[in-house]
Amino acid sequence: MDYEIVIESIPKLLSGAVLTIEITALSVVIGLAFSIPIALMRVSQNPALWMPVYGYIFYFRGTPLLVQIFLIYYGSGQFREEFEALGLWRFFREPYFCAVLTLTLNTAAYTAEILRGAIRAVPFGEVEAARACGMSRALLFRRIILPKAFRLALPAYSNEVVFLFQATSLVSIITLLDLTGIARIIVARSFAVYEIYIAAAVIYLIVTYGILYVFRRVEHRLSGHLRERAGMDEAAPAGKGAIPAGQPAPVTIAVR
Amino acid sequence: MAETAAAVSAAEAMLVCEDVHKSFGPLEVLKGISLDAREGDVIAMLGSSGSGKSTFLRCVNLLETPDSGRVSVAGELIRMTKIRSGKTVPADQNQVDRIRSRLGMVFQQFNLWSHMTVLQNVIEAPVHVLKVPKAEAIERAHAVLNKVGLDDKLDYYPSHLSGGQQQRAAIARALAMEPALMLFDEPTSALDPELVGEVLRVIRRLAEEGRTMIVVTHEMGFAREVSNEVVFLHEGRIEEQGPPREVFGNPKSDRFRQFMASNL
Repeated sequence: MDYEIVIESIPKLLSGAVLTIEITALSVVIGLAFSIPIALMRVSQNPALWMPVYGYIFYFRGTPLLVQIFLIYYGSGQFREEFEALGLWRFFREPYFCAVLTLTLNTAAYTAEILRGAIRAVPFGEVEAARACGMSRALLFRRIILPKAFRLALPAYSNEVVFLFQATSLVSIITLLDLTGIARIIVARSFAVYEIYIAAAVIYLIVTYGILYVFRRVEHRLSGHLRERAGMDEAAPAGKGAIPAGQPAPVTIAVR
Repeated sequence: MAETAAAVSAAEAMLVCEDVHKSFGPLEVLKGISLDAREGDVIAMLGSSGSGKSTFLRCVNLLETPDSGRVSVAGELIRMTKIRSGKTVPADQNQVDRIRSRLGMVFQQFNLWSHMTVLQNVIEAPVHVLKVPKAEAIERAHAVLNKVGLDDKLDYYPSHLSGGQQQRAAIARALAMEPALMLFDEPTSALDPELVGEVLRVIRRLAEEGRTMIVVTHEMGFAREVSNEVVFLHEGRIEEQGPPREVFGNPKSDRFRQFMASNL
């Protein structure tokens, strides 16, 4: 084990990690924004709405991410004139743009599917209660269904973000110098395969831990209603907010 | 034309239902129900399960769409139209939303929004449907939660409350809309026996305040003492109807006699 080369390479690897994180963050944020309307179209009963997004989701879930990247990056070259005519070629000739575009479309498809499941899982009674007090369809989605669906989707979505973060390593194949790309170059020059890839793997692990930590915090914040009421016993002697004698202590009741 | 006529005849009536029919597939659940509620009426709706009482209540606020018949709330006829498939649908969803905002519905399963605290549940619809300023909605929420005895549980989530407390919170949520008519769909059927009393006490208090309401219930004693009109449904038809003293004291239909015997 050659520690020296590891220490020497760390600044370069970190600069690659910055690009990895940047691509991940961009794709996650834009993909999430796209996934909401896509999920809403997916749960629509109007075939003109759900059928196109069904095809879109099916394609991005049904083909390898690497093939999708190749199709957008190399495939666009075949239509260079058309893209030039539209003024889009300066985007499509950039591997960075193609990588972010592919990852965004990919994660939007998966996220939409996660959201669709979560929307379906919102308890029907709570939806009816909202309709019964006069909420319009738009208000119902905005105030009840989507906030509940986001909470339900969070564990699966954290998986998706971690998966996407790992999947960014594929962009090194279209010449981007992300963490994997930099590691490959250093390995090619130094033949320190083991050391460099271990170092890269550790960086991936640390960032993944950070992503999971953020999701844990968000989940905790949004799930007060799923936990035992905090500070119950400490609050009781204080009087205010305490449980009056004779009344049953608050218990968690599953209402279905 | 029809609308103005209905509005005139229903001037003092909170609810006018005429010949409401509803089928689910081949099963005809409501076979022509006509029922009026004047201001201050407390109507207890009785019937064995499957008699159509919940379906009727759900037809009043269009959670189910009646196949035929007319429903007017506070003098406003809910306009219906037939679509190509022969199904009846509301002609104007905005009208339905507006009318629903004047009807307070209390469900058997409470159906509180589980991700919101009690206070958030109560101010949600006033703020977002009626556009009441938030500060005013909170003030109103304090008043209604006080009325149902939950003013010390504002920041509790529904899952931290007992069933009876949840149902009282749901009643507060309905009250906060200042509804013209309240609909209770078996409000105590999902509760443990020892929690039924606290919910019935709240409903009784609302009745004493002169609120107009229709209560679908299995609580015969409650129906007898609190309502001023009892309606007994059997197989989608009104089988017995009248003031509780008459209906319970001198029932005309055998079915209601059987029902009473099996529910004592």
